[in-house]
Amino acid sequence: MLYLELLLQGIVQGSIYALIALGLTLVYGLLRILHVAHAALFTLGAYLGVIVTNATGSLVLATAVSMVVTGVVGMAVYKLAYEPLLGKPPFIALIASIAMFIASEEIFRIIFGPYGLSYTNPPLQGYYEIFGGFYLKYGEMLVIGLSIVMLSILGWLSGNTRLGVSWRATVTDPSMARAFGINIQNVRYLNFFIGSALAAAAGVLVALLNNLVEPTMGSVASYKALAIIVLGGLGSIRGTLVAAMAIGIIESFGTIYLGHILGRDALAFAFLILVLMVRPQGLLGAK
Amino acid sequence: MAYEITLITSMAISVLFALSLNFITGFCGQISLGHAAFMGVGAYTTAAMMKAGVPFIATIPVAAVLAGCLGVLVGIASLRVRHDFLAITTMGVVFLFVGIVRQQDFLGGEIGISGIQASSFGRIGFMAFCLLLAAAFAVFSLVIKRSWMGFVFDSIADNEDVSRVLGIDVSKYKLIAFVVGTAAAGVAGSLYAQQFRFVGPDSFGFVESVSVLAMVIVGGIGSVWGVAVAAAGLSVMPLMIQFVDDYKILVYSALLFSMMRWAPDGLAGIVNRSVKRIRRRS
Amino acid sequence: MQPVLEVKNVTVRFGGVTAVDNASLTINRGDLIGFVGPNGAGKTTLMRVITGIVKPQEGEVLLEGRSLLGMSINQRIRAGLALAQQIVQPLRAMTLLENVALACGAAKTSNPLVAMRSFDRSAENQRAMELLTRVGLKDAAHSEPSKLPLGYLKRLEVARALALNPKLLLLDEPLAGLNQSEAQSLADLIKTLNADGLTILLIEHNLREVMRICPQVYVQELGRSLAFGPAKEIMARPDVIRAYLGGTVDA
Repeated sequence: MLYLELLLQGIVQGSIYALIALGLTLVYGLLRILHVAHAALFTLGAYLGVIVTNATGSLVLATAVSMVVTGVVGMAVYKLAYEPLLGKPPFIALIASIAMFIASEEIFRIIFGPYGLSYTNPPLQGYYEIFGGFYLKYGEMLVIGLSIVMLSILGWLSGNTRLGVSWRATVTDPSMARAFGINIQNVRYLNFFIGSALAAAAGVLVALLNNLVEPTMGSVASYKALAIIVLGGLGSIRGTLVAAMAIGIIESFGTIYLGHILGRDALAFAFLILVLMVRPQGLLGAK
Repeated sequence: MAYEITLITSMAISVLFALSLNFITGFCGQISLGHAAFMGVGAYTTAAMMKAGVPFIATIPVAAVLAGCLGVLVGIASLRVRHDFLAITTMGVVFLFVGIVRQQDFLGGEIGISGIQASSFGRIGFMAFCLLLAAAFAVFSLVIKRSWMGFVFDSIADNEDVSRVLGIDVSKYKLIAFVVGTAAAGVAGSLYAQQFRFVGPDSFGFVESVSVLAMVIVGGIGSVWGVAVAAAGLSVMPLMIQFVDDYKILVYSALLFSMMRWAPDGLAGIVNRSVKRIRRRS
Repeated sequence: MQPVLEVKNVTVRFGGVTAVDNASLTINRGDLIGFVGPNGAGKTTLMRVITGIVKPQEGEVLLEGRSLLGMSINQRIRAGLALAQQIVQPLRAMTLLENVALACGAAKTSNPLVAMRSFDRSAENQRAMELLTRVGLKDAAHSEPSKLPLGYLKRLEVARALALNPKLLLLDEPLAGLNQSEAQSLADLIKTLNADGLTILLIEHNLREVMRICPQVYVQELGRSLAFGPAKEIMARPDVIRAYLGGTVDA
């Protein structure tokens, strides 16, 4: 029973990690940038979700607004911050990204206050009894369901539409894609839009689970998501999804059984280092 | 006066710490997002030993050796993973360090170790000692940079694979860089423990690792004087911009971003370019 | 006399594909051997076996009787191999002179304790200048590689390899990407280096130049040694001609 519960908790956490980390992978696959500020977009998405829900009473509307606005902000981040840094050594963009992330935490704190915001009427707070004495929060079910739906839609789009195919071609081999007349710039914008929108969705979901958004809520996401995409093999979408689930589940079991030896974050990174020593290219990375 | 002494001591420790990372990242081209872990090893070593009655001076070599040993381990890891994979591996090291320290009762667990005795130097003497060590490591860095070893480091930082084709034992040189850089970070940690008379797990985390990397990059990666100036400046900047009060972290991060955006080669780059421009005019 | 390099019955398989199949090759002191073969002949793979990037499943590679297998690439270089790569890879932050001088100081480099105490580079710089002069790059010695055309960088690769005082120089398609006159003058340089006593294995697609400068050729087809001997004789053999004409068109 406990096992099942831990597994489910792991999957919930893993789904959130997957939504966040996917955007990072998209950015890395195309630009080779470790986009730490992605976590700021996750926080932005969460704030927007709470604010719009509180103003309109509709969680669906709030999620949609949050995803679109955050997606556009993501595109602006690319245009204003990263585009000028392409071709510079990679750590330049990394430090710039970290600076943006730190600045964003301050901006959230200054505008919305240090204590964060909550839903005035928190939606989906009930429990659902799956079977004898085993409960799952509505919110948690939504996390798993929405992740599956969004990732499936994305998978379908990338395989079955013209845009999706050119997008995949660009991620696999930018110079080849250019030779085929694909507009790389548009694909980059698209990447930032989709990645940021997914992070926003993750933000809304986390806000729902905790019924709280706060300026520092992105800090865990900022480094954990990096660990996940590296674990997955940097730039491998399937690897990222596998790694996100693996980390979610390991943390869930680890904190119960190994919590007295190592904390949650340390466990995740211990696993990462172990894997990298055996497979320096990550779980599903190409050599 | 007491305030200035504290300030200068902090600056000296930061300079030593940043130069120690510069040895690894600037000279040998190996990125690290977890350098604070090595400072932490040094700081905890000094703190625990002094609590056991060992005099401060005697703890410094031990701190250097222990930090250097951890450095060898990470150096060996750097032979397996490269570039961005190495960056995240080193980031993992700092989280692992913090995670382990938190669980150790003899290191004070979550609370850390406080009430570390003062050294026999006195406050001014200690400041002079910190300045001396920072200056000594700066000179050592400059000497290495000019030596044949510095030449070989340049080559490895430039292109590892080519270096191998030129017959260079890249692994050996990488390990040297890691040992020297991490041992020096251990010494900086010793000084830190003595300066604040307190060490805790939160003092040596990811944020501190990023800050020191920022010092190296703002100074101009590889440039000894540039990194020293940047470290001295950035370490006291939060105090210097007290007047912006609530916005000081925002100002700090905005400056950091602007630096990357408009002058990615750091202070050293800015100065080099201005010197060239002036020369061309005259 | 002991051969400089012996490749004995080397086989390399990638998954189910056999890239090199029981290949053998002997190089004696003073040889200049053209290593040719149509695309897909496994030339690059055999070269990588010699330099140590690819591990063979079977066979042996000996440099002056000493087995190279199990050595890393830098150990092989110090044992007496030198490599000028097909894709030029200068150290971009250094001038040409520094690129070559670094290679000239291999003795210092091999001992870090010596390296950290050596400050005088004049001997290396002087030797580097001689080598650059020899390959015709004297005027560009103080330029940065990023500002120079491909022909210069190909010569830099050669100069850097010479700086290692090799027993055997491996040249991997040095003429590729060069125009007719550049290729011809670099080929002349290779011939001169050999005449001065250097042993050279030249992998090259440019058959015309190979035939012009190499006394001997080694032909590989589909991973197997096809022929080895005097250039004129070998290239007249029907099976060699068939391998070329029946193989790929662009060879």
